[in-house]
Amino acid sequence: MTGLLLDHVTRKAEGRTLLDQLDLHVAEGECVALLGPSGCGKTTTLRVVAGLDALSEGRIVLDGHDISQMDPGQRRVGMVFQSYALYPHLTVAENLTLGLRIRGVPSTDREERLARILALLQLEDLRLRRPSQISGGQRQRVALGRALLRQPHLMLLDEPMSNLDAQLREELRPELRRLLSSGGYPVLYVTHDQQEAVGLADRIAVLDQGRLQQVGDPRELYGNPANRFVASFIGRPAINLFPPQGGRQLAVRPEHLHSVETDGFPAQLLRAEWSGSQQVLWLESAAGLLRMLWPAAPGPPSSLRLQWHPNDALAFDERTGERLLQSEQAWSRDLIRSLQQ
Amino acid sequence: MMRLLLLAWSLLPLLWQLRASFLVGDALVGQGAAIHGSPWTLQNYRLVVGGDPSLAQVLFNSALLGLVTTGLTLVLAVPCAYGLRHLKSRLQPAVSAALLGAALFPTVLFFLSLLQLARWLGLANQLLALSLPYAGLSLPLAILLLRAAIADLPPELEDAARLDGLNSWQRLRWIVVPLLAPSLASTGLLVFLSSWNEYPIALTWLSRSELLTLPAAMGRIASSSVYTIPYGPYAAATVLGSLPLLLLVLVFQRWIVSGLTQGAVKG
Amino acid sequence: MSADLLPLLWMAPALLLLGLVFLWPWVHYCWLSFHASSLLTGLATLPNGGANWQRLLQDGRFWQDALQTVRFAGVSVGLELGLGLLIALLLHRPSRGRGLLRALVLIPWALPGTVMALGWRWILNDPHGPLNALIQSLGRSPFPFLTSPSTTWAFTVLADVWKTTPFVAIILLAGLQSIPRDLEEALRLEGAGHWTVLRRLQWPLLTPYVSLALLFRLAQAFGVFDLIQLLTGGGPAGSTESLASYAYLQAMRFLDFGYSATLMLATFLMVLVLSLLWLGGMRLVGARR
Repeated sequence: MTGLLLDHVTRKAEGRTLLDQLDLHVAEGECVALLGPSGCGKTTTLRVVAGLDALSEGRIVLDGHDISQMDPGQRRVGMVFQSYALYPHLTVAENLTLGLRIRGVPSTDREERLARILALLQLEDLRLRRPSQISGGQRQRVALGRALLRQPHLMLLDEPMSNLDAQLREELRPELRRLLSSGGYPVLYVTHDQQEAVGLADRIAVLDQGRLQQVGDPRELYGNPANRFVASFIGRPAINLFPPQGGRQLAVRPEHLHSVETDGFPAQLLRAEWSGSQQVLWLESAAGLLRMLWPAAPGPPSSLRLQWHPNDALAFDERTGERLLQSEQAWSRDLIRSLQQ
Repeated sequence: MMRLLLLAWSLLPLLWQLRASFLVGDALVGQGAAIHGSPWTLQNYRLVVGGDPSLAQVLFNSALLGLVTTGLTLVLAVPCAYGLRHLKSRLQPAVSAALLGAALFPTVLFFLSLLQLARWLGLANQLLALSLPYAGLSLPLAILLLRAAIADLPPELEDAARLDGLNSWQRLRWIVVPLLAPSLASTGLLVFLSSWNEYPIALTWLSRSELLTLPAAMGRIASSSVYTIPYGPYAAATVLGSLPLLLLVLVFQRWIVSGLTQGAVKG
Repeated sequence: MSADLLPLLWMAPALLLLGLVFLWPWVHYCWLSFHASSLLTGLATLPNGGANWQRLLQDGRFWQDALQTVRFAGVSVGLELGLGLLIALLLHRPSRGRGLLRALVLIPWALPGTVMALGWRWILNDPHGPLNALIQSLGRSPFPFLTSPSTTWAFTVLADVWKTTPFVAIILLAGLQSIPRDLEEALRLEGAGHWTVLRRLQWPLLTPYVSLALLFRLAQAFGVFDLIQLLTGGGPAGSTESLASYAYLQAMRFLDFGYSATLMLATFLMVLVLSLLWLGGMRLVGARR
């Protein structure tokens, strides 16, 4: 099988399980974003794949070869670190070619590859600068160039945008996407930013506490989450979780709550957050605090009645958080009825 | 005002030495009251530079020994600090604690054993052989300082270097050592100072006068009878022997202070 | 452990030399302290049971020197701490030429102890030194700086304080500079003066620095040797002799290596016990916070 295969990848360290039986396949030319809260094991996954952290169980297979026991330097893996990890005492050109020098690549060959990368990333003018003398965006390009110069069979990126300001991030996203998809190698991209994951990746893998929660394209994760964690982690403003009843817990997305004249259940407006194209309303109800969307104008009434379509509710097991698919509609009606009383 | 007082406290004793070094011996010890009218002279300097051993020789010995000691200490301490940083097991804190204990210990107490060692190994009266105990005694502090400096380097740099295919020796050579340069300088200076100033071991290992280091030469002057110490030449020797250190401290005070400070913060 | 093999290999050369310099003397002294090795045995080394240790227990000079060493270390380190704090506060205040001042203050610490010990010996000479010349020119009789036991002791302490206070000051200065400025500014906004800032903020946060400087200086002061050897030679009448200079005397003047080793070992143990007590005490204080 081509591409990258993680097979039951497990890492234990200091008595804790950091990664628990991770299974994931990334095809050639595909970009998969690892998404999750901090400490969920995203970066550990990258480090294990790169060989920087040891594997406790499982296999890592790249293009059909088991690379689990190889040295990081032999894995033909390009990696961009969150801090970029550029060598501060070397110039841009030296940063890019150190690996080639160590591997004994002849200098003519080295120069040629360097020139190609510098041109690709528009870094020609900076070749003699040091990392401290260039901007954050330029540093990111150098780090990317260093990874590309290895002619990688696999690309790993650890939050490469997090050190850039918001505007630059948006500008760079399409450029990065083009660059990554043109390589023809599998890409693993770690981020905690959903927007970035949606914008860059073909598929998203959601991680929590070292376990893979769900893998899929963004729409699937949003509309059909496998469990409560994915439902509440994906989507902003966050999904409304209702108080558990009889061992199950219902959740409704803010955009699925509607204001109705009759029927429904009562709620009081606490606060409205205006965000240009729309408003997020914070409401107090018998079910606790709820969020819903409202057009940007006119101002919402101070009290209103809420309703949702039974098809729009998601049900989860109260204890395990697993999705309960069978009778979501019936439970949905029960809940609305109980809130009316 | 407070600052002037502080300066006077620190420098007055040295200025007294400076003055004494230009006065003839009679004026110094003969009749104390006569000092005021004494003629100034360079005679003391001529005496110490031309004496046996010549002060120039003594200073050269101290400088040579200091440089060799500093080099040897750093060559041993850098890999050791690097290894210590990468120790994973519980050995790490144990070794660090032992090093701290060793760095604190009053080293004068080792002189008898070290002298015994010198006799067995035939190292007595060999100037550069002194760099062995000197480096050994300086190692704990040097290792602790360098380990702290290595711990301050971002760990991703070494990770990136591993991905670039550098083995641990190449990472040390190409990444760690260049980035340690400031700490190497400040650690080296502290080692050089302690070698330059060391007394009891030099006193017991060296007896041939052309090998004496500055403190040992001073000791030899002092052990002449209490009443006949040639203070004039001695003061001249003090001035000449202090000058290199004064320059070192004035030029490199930032490095020295940062070395001391690192030790305090990370110790 | 197997992951530690490579790091240990890196460390091996240094550890080897460290073992030779720091561990071997303990072994050697332990062995030597149960042997007679002196002029009396013709410098041959013969086992003599615990005779050296018995002699130590009955040796009034050892106990006197131990007391003198403890007293010397306690008083001089105490003074260094007080004075060092003053200097550190002075250097901490922003001013022009602070770097130069710091360098000049550091000079006494950087100079060889031997050089300055002899320097002090001349300055304090009775009656010919410049201090006494000054006193005499004021029409008074010369002061016995280094000839009466009590004044000699006081001026030995002074010489040590002069030389090592800069070290303490620089450590404490590092501590002061590690305290974030906003903390001091916040306290000042509430109307606190210099004294309150020192007592409520700076002193508590300096504690780890103070304890490190004290530990280091106490251990070093316990081994005071260069200064005693060159300033007073232990006199007058043994009143300034330290444990280290007594041990040196036994070995190099009386050539009694067995007893000298016993003295060194006893001093070792005292430093060790005092350091551990100190660390334990610090931990106790830390735990109570």
